[in-house]
This record gives sequence, structure tokens and C-alpha cells, in this order.
Amino acid sequence: MLTILKSEWFKLRKSNIIGILLAGPLIGLGAGIGADTAEAAGMMNEWYMILIYMNLPYAVLFLPLITGVLASFVCRYEHQAGGWKQLLALPVTRGKVFAAKYVLILLLVLFIQLFYLAAIAGAGLYKGIADPFPAAIVWKSILGGWIAAFPLVALQLWMSVWFKSFAAPFAVNVVFTLPSILAMNSEKVGPYYPWAQPFAMMYPATENGDIFFIPWEQLITVIGGFFLLFYLGGYFYFQRKAV
Amino acid sequence: MMGKLLSAEFMKIKRKGIWFLTVLGPIGVVAMQMVNYGVRKEYLFRQNDDRWGYYLDNIHSFTPLAIVLGIVILTSFMSSIENETNAWKQLMALPVSKMGVYLSKFTVLSVLLLISSVLLLLFTLAFGISLDLGGEIPYAGLLKYSFYPFFAALPVLALQLWAAAVSVNQGVPITLGILGVILTYAGYALPDWLIWKWPLLMNDWEEPLINVLLGGGAGLILYAAGMIDFVRRDVK
Repeated sequence: MLTILKSEWFKLRKSNIIGILLAGPLIGLGAGIGADTAEAAGMMNEWYMILIYMNLPYAVLFLPLITGVLASFVCRYEHQAGGWKQLLALPVTRGKVFAAKYVLILLLVLFIQLFYLAAIAGAGLYKGIADPFPAAIVWKSILGGWIAAFPLVALQLWMSVWFKSFAAPFAVNVVFTLPSILAMNSEKVGPYYPWAQPFAMMYPATENGDIFFIPWEQLITVIGGFFLLFYLGGYFYFQRKAV
Repeated sequence: MMGKLLSAEFMKIKRKGIWFLTVLGPIGVVAMQMVNYGVRKEYLFRQNDDRWGYYLDNIHSFTPLAIVLGIVILTSFMSSIENETNAWKQLMALPVSKMGVYLSKFTVLSVLLLISSVLLLLFTLAFGISLDLGGEIPYAGLLKYSFYPFFAALPVLALQLWAAAVSVNQGVPITLGILGVILTYAGYALPDWLIWKWPLLMNDWEEPLINVLLGGGAGLILYAAGMIDFVRRDVK
């Protein structure tokens, strides 16, 4: 398993993936620097304000959409010139290849989240925020967004293994991501819609006693449930895929 | 030559889901309002006495996002046809000019987006009538909200086609497209010179027609730049 992951990493190393990883945090940085946080000064910690401003474009659109690009990216070499055949001719099982690709995408998303953390700090320093940095809250937001991406990554890996082009999995992603703009405003649908979860998990709410910003039941049933559904769907599809 | 190139391009996009997406885009935009009005019709009716105008504004809150993302998907699809199988060489070996090929791709994309705009007009009108909004149907506004975004988005179309046609790795144009759609999403807070803001039909003069004219002008410039770059590049 570790060796497959390593070879996946080698395939990725010389590509221009770093530009794709930095795109989102830069958007966040721009939103943070452009944010008008002065109005909150004195009323609430300005870091919360900057986080809310930065999360809006980042967690609603960027994070869900980029999972699709990353998934297509890690399947790109295999789709070219019989790469699946070459890879699966090696003494590896399909299940492990699928798992390795999944773990690799999760690591890439984690990198993006960490760059985003740096972007939050950068935007705050640029604005000279004097309030204490709410480290616990920000970490919750960063890791929460990462976990919320688990089911989305699973579906996108499924779609990317299926379709050769980047455009088709991306189209599926767009079709599900755009309605989250409506869903996140709805108290009834929002908690159950997987593509609205990154925003919910990254939104710095006040202390509610839970580890993340959404209730445990929601984390386990919605994020966990859709993760299982999409991961197993992709896993079994890949088992039977003709290469 | 152009006619044959165009019919070849239309042949190539068959059974690839491209037509499906062309129809799905406008359906999606109107379906979003079907849900919105389905859930809280009374509340939305109370918001504004000009119910048709308010309804059109609601429709227009998703049109720019849909059109920019649609452009990203369709341009990438159009260049994947040749990209996936390294068929650019084969295509260019035919007695066709590279300019002609590029122009035919751009034309097919424009036709698809125009069809989407027509469908958007029809679906918006049909759902609007079924909502029983009352008062006169604002045909001028309906035309404006259906077709202006397409013209205002021409620079984005030219830029994305350029990026998709010259990138071996389609992850690059799609990431560019994601950045673009975020600029559209946050456009209300951004300066007027950003092309991604134009489909919102907002500007300092509050005259949407400016976006249409700018879109045509800047679209032409970006189209020319993309075509010249495409023609000069080595065929891979």
C-alpha cells in the first residue's frame, strides 16, 4: 500500500500541481485582504470576521470544485495511452490502487487547507489585527473543512476513474456544487446536503460543546454516510472496470 | 471550408453529453428558482411589489455562475476531443487552416451558449407564467436577462478556449475557470475591469448595455490573441 502511494507521489511530483494547490489559498488571501473587518472592531474578535469573509468564496465554491480537479489529476496518467493496463499489470490489487489514489487526494486537500491556514494568518497580519489569534477555532475550521471534503473526494474519484476527460467529472461536480448556494441558506436541507458541508464545517460558530462546528450526528450520518456510499460505489465500479 | 469544418465539429460533439449540458444549464438555473419559490413563495412575493422584476433578479442570481462554469466545461470538452487522443496532429494534417479550426471551435461554442440562452428565455417565461406573478410580462427585461450575460461573457469564453486549446493538461484551464467563477461569485465587491464580473451586468454607470459592448470588444481582442497564439504553437 505504501509503495503504491509512493509511486503515485512520484507521478505527481514533476507536474504543475503546486500551482493548483496554491490557487485557493490565494483566493482566500485576496478575500481576506479585501474584507472590511473594521466594522467588527471592538464588537467581536476581528479574526472571526476575516475568517467568515474568506470562507465564503473558499468553502462554498472553491473547496468542493477543486476536489474534482485533483481527482482527475491523479488519474490523468492512467487515462493516457493505456496507463490503467500498465498500472494494473503490476502486482497490485485494484482495491489498493483505488485506496492509494484516494489517500493521495486527501493529502493534497490537506495541503490546500494548511496553505489556507497560512493565508488566514497572512491576511490578518497584513491588516494588523491586534485581537488574539483564536487558534482552536481556526484549527477546527481547517480540519473540519478537510473532513467535509471526504465524501466529495470519493465521488470525484469515482467519476474520474470512469471518465477520461477532465470536463465530465467537473460537470458532475458543478451540478452538485451550485445548488449548495441555496441549500446552505436552508435550515431543512442544508444539514443533509453533502456539498454544503465544507461551508458548515468551516463556519466559526460559537462553542456548542461538539468537536466540530456541526453536531456529531450530522458529521457521522451525512458526511460519513455519503463517504461510504461514494467510496464503495467508486471501489466496486473500479473492480469491474474494463481497462 | 468553414461550413465543412463546422459540420465536422458538430459531428464530433455528438453523444458526448455536450448537448445534454447545453440543455441542463438553463434547466438548472430555472429549477433553482422552482425550489426557491416552491419553498417560500409567499415570502418572496412580499419582498417586492414588482414580482416579475424580482423573479427575474432571482433567476439572474444564478445565470452568471452557470454561464461561466458552462463555458469552462464546454471549452474543456471541445479541446479534449483532440487532446485525449492526440488527434490535433491528424486534424491539422487535413487541408484545413489552424485559424479555421480555432474559429470553428469558437463558433460551435457560441452556438451552444446561444441555444442555452434561448432555452433560458423560454424556461424563465414558462415558469414565470406558471407562478402567476401578475401584471404585464416584462419581455424587454426577459430578453435582457437571457441574452446580455452571454455577450458579457464572451471574453471569458475566448480566454477559456485559449487556455483549453493550448494546455496539454486540462487541469490548468479548469483551475483557471474555478478562479474565474469565484470572481463572478464575489463580483459585486470587485472592480469593473475584471471580465468575470461582466456577466453580472453590474457596473458603476448602472447600464448593462456597457457590459454587452465591452464583452464584444474584449472578447474579440482575447479571441484574436488566443487564435494567434494557437496558430503559432507547435502541434503536439
